[in-house]
This record gives sequence, C-alpha cells and structure tokens, in this order.
Amino acid sequence: MQLIDKLSILADAAKYDVSCASSGAPRRGSKGQSGIGSAGPGICHSFTPDGRCVSLLKILLTNFCLYDCQYCVNRRSSDVPRARFSPEEVVALTLDLYRRNCVSGLFLSSGIIRSADYTMEQLVEVARLLREVHEFRGYIHLKTIPDADPALIEQAGQYADRLSVNIELPSDTSLVRLAPEKTVAGIQRAMGTIRYRQQAVEGEARAPAFAPAGQSTQMIVGADDSDDHRILHTSQSLYRRFRLKRVYYSAFSPIPHSPATVPQAAPPLLREHRLYQADFLMRGYGFRAEELLGKPGNLALDIDPKLAWALEHREQFPVDLNRAEPSLIARVPGIGVLSAQRIEQLRRQRKIRYEDLRRLRCALDKAGPFIVTADYRPRQDSSESLRLRQQLAERPAQQMALW
Amino acid sequence: MRCVRVDGGFADWRDKARTLLHEGVPPALVSWRDELMPADLFAEEALARYAPGSQVTVPRQVLELLERAARFRVAERWALLYRILWRVALGDAAAALPGDPDGSELHLRIKAVGREIHQLHALLRFVPLGGAGLPDYVAWFEPEHEVLDVACGHFAERMGRHSWLIATSRDGVWYDGERFDYRAEAPDEWQTLARTPDPEGQALWLAYYRSTFNPTRVNPQALRQHLPQRLWQQVPEGRLIPALLVQARMGAQRDGQAPEVSVRPGKRIRLRQQD
Repeated sequence: MQLIDKLSILADAAKYDVSCASSGAPRRGSKGQSGIGSAGPGICHSFTPDGRCVSLLKILLTNFCLYDCQYCVNRRSSDVPRARFSPEEVVALTLDLYRRNCVSGLFLSSGIIRSADYTMEQLVEVARLLREVHEFRGYIHLKTIPDADPALIEQAGQYADRLSVNIELPSDTSLVRLAPEKTVAGIQRAMGTIRYRQQAVEGEARAPAFAPAGQSTQMIVGADDSDDHRILHTSQSLYRRFRLKRVYYSAFSPIPHSPATVPQAAPPLLREHRLYQADFLMRGYGFRAEELLGKPGNLALDIDPKLAWALEHREQFPVDLNRAEPSLIARVPGIGVLSAQRIEQLRRQRKIRYEDLRRLRCALDKAGPFIVTADYRPRQDSSESLRLRQQLAERPAQQMALW
Repeated sequence: MRCVRVDGGFADWRDKARTLLHEGVPPALVSWRDELMPADLFAEEALARYAPGSQVTVPRQVLELLERAARFRVAERWALLYRILWRVALGDAAAALPGDPDGSELHLRIKAVGREIHQLHALLRFVPLGGAGLPDYVAWFEPEHEVLDVACGHFAERMGRHSWLIATSRDGVWYDGERFDYRAEAPDEWQTLARTPDPEGQALWLAYYRSTFNPTRVNPQALRQHLPQRLWQQVPEGRLIPALLVQARMGAQRDGQAPEVSVRPGKRIRLRQQD
C-alpha cells in the first residue's frame, strides 16, 4: 500500500480524537543548531470545513485493533479498511509536513495490536526516533495506552510534550457496557502514573522534563445517556485528582457500520459547545461544577452557562463596575477575564462609563441587565429572570436543519 | 494646516512627529500623507528634523504600541498615532488604553497586526528547493499589513540551519542559516523564486486535510470565522474546501468517514483462539 493511502486511512481513523492543541510546551527553538523545530504558543495551521483547527499531524500508527469498543470506528468488528505505518514512515511524514509548515508537530495514537505494552513500545519508538535521531524540537502528543507498563509511560513522558489517556465515557457503567476490554481502574492507573511522574520533577529545575505540556483526556458525549451534571462532575474530579490540563468533549458522531448499542444520530454539537463553555468557566473563572449545574440534568442550550448562572443569582447583581472586585466583574455575563482587567486598568484613570464597555467590546446585550456604571443603571434591574431569559436566548442552531 | 509626508515608515514618522510636537502643532492642524494616499506635492512641506534637547517625553511602552500600530496598512494611519502621541505628551495617559475612543482604535489596529503575524506563521507554506546558490525552502505570502520583518525570526527558530526565502508583493527576507537579509523591496528574482509551484509535494498534505475533516460536523460559519474566505487562496488546501462543503451537505453527513476511505474494502479482525 502506498504511503498516501495509509495516510488517508489512518488520518480518517484518528479524527474522532478532538484534541489538537500544540501549546503549553516550554519555549524552545533550533536557531543556529542542527535538527529542526520549535515550540511555544500553539499555531493553527489550517481549519477544516467543520471549523476545527489543524495544528498537529494527527494519525494512528495502525487502526488494526483487538478491542471492540462500540463507539469506535476502529473496533475489531468494524468493517473498515485497515493500514499500518512503520515508525520510520511516521517520522518521515512528520518531518516533511513540519518543514513545509503544514503542522507544528505530531499527535500519535494507535489501535491495540498484540498487547498494550507492544503498542505503547511502538508509539514511544516513534517519539524516540524524532527526538534522538532527528533532533526534532516540535510538539509531540502521545496517546497513552491504559494498562501499558508504567516504565513505558515514563519513557513516553520524557519524549512527549503531552500525554493523554482517554476516560472515554462519563460513567463507569457505560464503560463496562460499551468498552468491554477497558477498565476504569486501568485508565485511572495510567493517569495516576503520569501525575506521579510530573510531581516527581515539579520544582526540580535540573530534573529532565516530564510531559511539560501536561496531560489531557477525552470524554465522548452522547454515546450513552449520562447527563451534563455527571459529565461536569466527572471533569471536576479529574481536574482535581490528576491535575489535567484539559478535558476534551467529543460529541459522538455516527460511525460507519454502526452497532445498535450506540446512537445513529447527528452529533450533539450545541451540547458539546455548552460543555466546553462550562469547562472553561471551571478552569479560568473559578466556577465549581455544582454552581453551574446544581442538580441532575443538562446545561441549557438556549443560553450560555455564565448567563444561566447569573439569572439564578440575581441577588449578586447589578455589579458596580467602578467598585467591584475584578473577579466578580469577570462573573458578569458578556464580560470576560481580559475585559475585567481592562476595566480595572481604565478605572484607575477615570470613571467607567457605558460607552467604554462598547469600545472594550463587551457583549452589552448580555451584560446590560447586570451592571452599573457612572452613567447607567439597568432598566431591567427589577424584571424577572424568566423574562430576561426569553429576551437573551439564542436562536436554535442552524446545524439541526441539515438533517 | 501643516501637510507632512511620511515615506520612511515609523522611524520617519517619529522624527517628524517629534518636531511637530516640539513646535506645539495640535493634531487637528496636521495632514499626514504617505504612499497609500495620492501625492500633493505643492502642499507638502519638507520638515526640518527634530532637534534633540526638547522636554517632551512619552513612556517607551506607548511608543512601542504606536510602532506596532503603524504596521497596520490604512490610508489615515499616521493621524491617529499623532493624536495619541499629542494627548499622552499632555498627560492624558488614557489615550493609549483600550477603553478610550482613540485608544480603542489603536488597540484594534495592534490586534489586527498581531493576527496578521500569526496568520503568516500559520498559513505560510514552504516549498523545498535546494541547489547551488538557492535556499533550501521558499515561500510566497501576501500579508495584509507590514509584518514580515518582525514575523520572520520565528522561522529561524523553526527551521534550524536550513536556509529559506520568503517574499511578498512588497518586501522579502532571505535567511542563509545564520543571517537575515531583509529588503523592504524584494528583488524580482526573489519574487519569482518564492512563487515556485509544487503540485506534487502537496499531495500528502491534501490527502491528510481531506481525511482529517469529519463531514458530520460540517460548519461553514465556524470555518469562515477562523479562516476567512480571502485566505483560502493563500493555502493549497483552500481549493478543496468548496467541494468538501458540498459533499458534506449532499449526504456524507450520515457518518464521519471520508469518501476516499469508504470506497476501500474493509476488514474485520478475528481474535486468535486463546491457548
């Protein structure tokens, strides 16, 4: 089989893993040195027609797989074309596309062949060749095979910027049902191994770096009946226990020759979007999962989670932008962390007025009912949350109409 | 009304702005001209260069912001900068902050310049060339604003000791593995070299692009937001986009597999009997 055919198959097989970040690695470069590659802020080299960024060469080493995870296009009972790269082929492809400035690095994963250990060894070998033989300083993200020997995970972390182990599904019972060969214990053990190695080098300036861009995971949304409440709490506990950099949410998208155990419906893209927004509020704004969703159920689709929280907590509003703490200003719908900082900066010079917010490009239709400035008090201050919500709700996504 | 021409970029403007500031000419009485505006030779004055020793001081950070914003190509670019300089020199520090009417325009320009630098880092595509006296890699790029000279250092970090040439319709830079040769006006032969076509070398990248797209998630609005249509011609994969959009709408949305892959014969895997 030609290299280009393998690439078509193994990129198609890898695209259901949504992570494509190339940021978070320590800044490094090759100026005046042998070898090639740099790392720093992430770069999106292209966007596919789904609006998602292409930053890394994201492929599987092989899509032959002994496992039978029902949600996965590469499960052993799936009737898909199969292919396998040699480690050298992956290295050559990565370097070629890197030099052409098409990608900023490699995100390599694999189906399970022979054993977890054998598969992990192959992934590590690719990273080793890139780093040691070709002195490649670009970004490397390796998928970690749960149940692989911790010694292999340790090696992987010495070469890779990021490691990830997929939690796959939000609940243990779903994992048992849909991914019979995987175990929650195995997945968490791998996450724990990575966390443990990271802790070992934290604060040790001279210790060799271990996965410096951190670890991440992916959760599939909509393949089982877990609600957003469960999903957000699972994420929160993963962030706390393993200090994950990111939890990625992947709206389950129908696969060819779909088994009856998983839905054959359009991917719930808007739900995925709301989960990302809620996740961002947990990571960047100090919101807790229980604040965003106090009881079982899903996030609202018609309004964003920050607005939903504000409508539930009218007693904290309106916020006076000339007096309030920046952290509270950042909790106002339509005003982000950066705008909150800028407001704080500007009010040291003079009073904040309504027009200033327009120039800072705050979303005033959202922020309006929740703020006070030197020349403005909200008219809707006394109006009911329910009516406000109707005014501020977004129109349903156009995506739905396509089916 | 003073009519002043800027033809040497930011450094030239800064000299002339200092002179005017020193003479106490308010922004409303200055008409700035540059190559983006029709010449008005009769009205333009040859301004004496600034005589050092004046008391006017402006924080260095503000000058850095102005330098950045001066890279934004627009016919009226110097007037805003002088107005901000004038206000800051008179003690109005808010003039350079994002919430101020002038400051917000300044920061819009700075943001656009930053985005353009990022686009150049992201969307430029190198073509391998090599050979005696030729750079190892060449690329042609058309940035909307004047960013090549500040953006090109990134590629020296990225490409190690490889030599490369980048040309635009205005300027160009040749890096020989050790030193940058930047020219505000790129020589014709640079521009020709930079536009070397590479149809075959792109095949792998295009195959990758087609396969990594999931048609069930097609979202033209998000695509245009991140990759505006004017940039589609900048990158080789841009010409695939219209067909991929149509395909996705015509029913490829039922599952995520790329058509190139689904036409191939599949293979189920049987487990070996355990001994």
